Amino acid sequence: MSMQAITTQQVTFNVFRFNSETDYLPYYKQITMEVTSEEVVLDILDRIKWEHDGSFSYRRSCRHGICGACAVKVNGKGVLACKERMNDMIGLFGTELTIDPVSSKHAIKDMVVDKKDFWDKHEAVEPYLISEIEEHPEMECYVTPMESEALLESDLCIQCGLCHYACPVIEINDAFLGPAAFAKAFRFNADVRDEGIDERIGIVNQPGAGIWDCVKCFECAEVCPKEVNPIEKITKLHNQTFERNDAIDNVATRHAVGFAHSIKKHGLLDEGELVRYSEGNIGVLKHVPVAIKMWKKGKIVMPWNMPKSDKLDEIKRLVKSSSTVKF
Amino acid sequence: MSIPIYTYDAVIVGAGLAGSTAARELEKSGKKVAVITKLHPLRSHSGAAQGGINAALSHEDSIELHEFDTVKGSDYLADQDAVELMCQEAPKTIRWAERMGAAFSRNDNGTIAQRPFGGQSSPRACYAKDRTGLTLLQTVYEQALRDGVDFWDEWYAADIIYKDGAVSGVVAFNIRNQEKAIFNAKAVMFATGGYARSYKINSNAHANTGDGLSIVARHGLPLEDMEFVQFHPSGLSGNGVLISEAARGEGGKLLNSEGERFMERYAPNKMELASRDVVSRAIIQEIREGRGVGPRKDAVFIDLTHLGAELIMERLPELRDLAICFLGLDMIKEPILISATAHYSMGGIPVDKDGHARLNNTEFVEGFYAAGEVACVSVHGANRLGANSVLEALFFGRHVGKTMLKDIDGLTLHPASEEDADTMNAELEAILTSNGKERVPQLRNELQQSMTDNAGVFRTEELMVKQVALVKELRERFKDIRIDDKSKIFNTDLQEAIELGHMLDYSLFIVESALARKESRGAHYREDYTTRDDENFLLHTMAYMNKEGDISLEYMDVTLGKHEVQERTY
Ligand SMILES: Cc1cc2nc3c(=O)[nH]c(=O)nc-3n(C[C@H](O)[C@H](O)[C@H](O)COP(=O)(O)OP(=O)(O)OC[C@H]3O[C@@H](n4cnc5c(N)ncnc54)[C@H](O)[C@@H]3O)c2cc1C
Ligand code: SF4
Ligand code: SF4
Ligand code: FES
Repeated sequence: MSMQAITTQQVTFNVFRFNSETDYLPYYKQITMEVTSEEVVLDILDRIKWEHDGSFSYRRSCRHGICGACAVKVNGKGVLACKERMNDMIGLFGTELTIDPVSSKHAIKDMVVDKKDFWDKHEAVEPYLISEIEEHPEMECYVTPMESEALLESDLCIQCGLCHYACPVIEINDAFLGPAAFAKAFRFNADVRDEGIDERIGIVNQPGAGIWDCVKCFECAEVCPKEVNPIEKITKLHNQTFERNDAIDNVATRHAVGFAHSIKKHGLLDEGELVRYSEGNIGVLKHVPVAIKMWKKGKIVMPWNMPKSDKLDEIKRLVKSSSTVKF
Repeated sequence: MSIPIYTYDAVIVGAGLAGSTAARELEKSGKKVAVITKLHPLRSHSGAAQGGINAALSHEDSIELHEFDTVKGSDYLADQDAVELMCQEAPKTIRWAERMGAAFSRNDNGTIAQRPFGGQSSPRACYAKDRTGLTLLQTVYEQALRDGVDFWDEWYAADIIYKDGAVSGVVAFNIRNQEKAIFNAKAVMFATGGYARSYKINSNAHANTGDGLSIVARHGLPLEDMEFVQFHPSGLSGNGVLISEAARGEGGKLLNSEGERFMERYAPNKMELASRDVVSRAIIQEIREGRGVGPRKDAVFIDLTHLGAELIMERLPELRDLAICFLGLDMIKEPILISATAHYSMGGIPVDKDGHARLNNTEFVEGFYAAGEVACVSVHGANRLGANSVLEALFFGRHVGKTMLKDIDGLTLHPASEEDADTMNAELEAILTSNGKERVPQLRNELQQSMTDNAGVFRTEELMVKQVALVKELRERFKDIRIDDKSKIFNTDLQEAIELGHMLDYSLFIVESALARKESRGAHYREDYTTRDDENFLLHTMAYMNKEGDISLEYMDVTLGKHEVQERTY
């Protein structure tokens, strides 16, 4: 709104509709509305329901960007509906907008998705402080500001699921725990009060399900509305695993070492190169669908275009710790 | 189709701080507990609490002072036995949450950091940046999960089983597919949160529709002090989204259109940190007298620019983000626009300090308990202090869990039968088949707008008489609704209709109770009775609804104590 006058413009919305009880296939419904400069995406969802069609369904509660209920996609971009200004959406995509659920595969009714897989994976990483809880403590545990900073804001994750449903590995590998679950595992592993790090490392270190299957596409970091940066946490979990000499020798770990090589060479990830390192040239074929998807999204950078990463120090640390593993 | 009956030792409705802590307490002691919640537990509104949670932790502070500030803040309507209990247990409660994993902000020596809040003699609010509720909610839910509590999430509790003075269960349906179930138990607890959603400008979540209150009231059980609705001074202009009191606690200044720091005239000592009701009235008064700012002139400025970017980024990052998102204003660079917003519900289901729900002034309902914002203990009286309600939810949630644990072995299970779901079935059927001409969003909007206009920060007899008639009329029109969605899957059209029914019923409690209270006390301000009247109104309102939907009022004594009733100035 700001101090200036409130402006309006006409926007056409293509809204994903699906009722798993009555519809065989999803379809899009077109609605044109006047949108004011004050509105956020959730206001539009509300108006579709309240002014056009009461059967339109979506989740929402807090409208403060803190409960994590209202994640949807606008023109393919994952957003928290209550915190995304319409003006910004129009600025990015123009006045014809498509609204989709975070995952059409999991849609049960319009914007509402069945998040069972998300919550199951959340629970799988033992998402709680593991320690003997003092039920009537006289004093708190002392935690210095520096120690509490070590969580790297991972405690700000609101379980909105945007990263989870944006992750290309989740899409092809049902076992993969996914970025939100990993961020959660890191949140407790990084807590000086926690005693469950061994258990949790055991969980996230598993081939198929664990951190080694992440293809480092940075999609999760990009989409996260709370800037939790899950891929950074995944990297930290790699480190924690190497530091404990727990890394298992398999395709997945080599994947990480491939990661390391790639970084050493370019200071940045070369996803195509990475897959080759871990599986040889034949194995890479298996990943072609992922590779194409990543290439389309601009995630695979051709070696000659490779810029130097500004996070080289962090990455070099990872290279160092990974080189202690024997293959 | 037959409706399954599940038997538990205890059933809790609501998975916010109050519900989840109670559940954990029971589960840890080997009781079988079900928690029914219409939202996933982590979506509960407790997670939105920004600013802090009170406890007298430091040497400069004392439990006595915390009690005194709470009682004074309440305008002496709080029950002092309950206040004493809560304030005494506050330090332990916070340290317990910390031990369970809450990520509080810290002092350099590693202890929990505290910040000043309105109406407090000492910096007393423990905080986690500006996301205190989030870390607490995550922590209690996570630990309850760890202990194996059965959460029934996205289940809507539609009714209680109440017969012969005893509550013996909850009737609910699954929002995802309308599957119905009866939860039969010896002990039932309500922890369904607040009711400020009946106001147009409010800081509350969409879910805060006060369902628990109306469900209980429809059985003829009382609701206490419903007229006391807190208006928070700093809601973002236009939509009421909250800018936490932390903004004033950290040094925010309120300015009107003339650039005047107007709190100098209303509360010369405490200024911006006077009690919430005082600051909210000052803001609305400035706007009414034409000194408002913004495109609609319906706001005042809060100026935080002098704090500097570093402090704002360290302590108020979420708040800055909210103002940028909703107003397009960056508090580091410029003042932002705020006004009073309906925020918190002091009233609720009357309980004693151990959480037993009252049948009337002297008797209790067997097997029924309440805690958190839905309950009226009353620790907040006529006005609650900032950072005391998260404490209430956390402490009383756990404490009432313990009460239930003590009581359960002495309680008998009244077996439920399928007919106990009749009321819910009829309610769903009526809404799904009603083919009238009224629309739920329209009725809800009329209710909210009129509650803000007629039963808001400033109240008069005339406006409230009008509002009583209006709410009754809306209730009649509600019988003639039609919803679009008749399907079974995630039917939020149906849910919003049920919720509107609840909002209409408890709103009548607010207005009737406010109309009868011919005095000004705490958050309840009457322009026609501008002073506090201890002789006639140092009493709790106990309101009952009969089968025809009419409200009758009784009064109940306040439990006084060592903090003597005085004039309240800031
Ligand atoms: C924006 C904001 C900021 C705040 N900041 C602070 C602060 O800084 N400090 C402070 O002390 N207080 C603050 N408060 C107040 C405080 O957050 C609440 O009073 C407190 O968290 C309430 O907790 P609760 O457990 O009682 O209810 P809630 O957390 O609201 O939980 C209610 C639960 O009931 C469930 N429920 C409701 N109806 C039904 C039904 N029909 N069927 C099934 N389930 C149902 C919901 O799903 C939810 O799980 C703030 C409030 C708001 C609005
Ligand atoms: S970086 Fe890894 S976890 Fe994140 S989206 Fe890509 S593959 Fe998934
Ligand atoms: S990490 Fe970010 S995107 Fe992923 S669930 Fe948490 S808040 Fe959402
Ligand atoms: S409604 Fe809670 S995050 Fe959007």
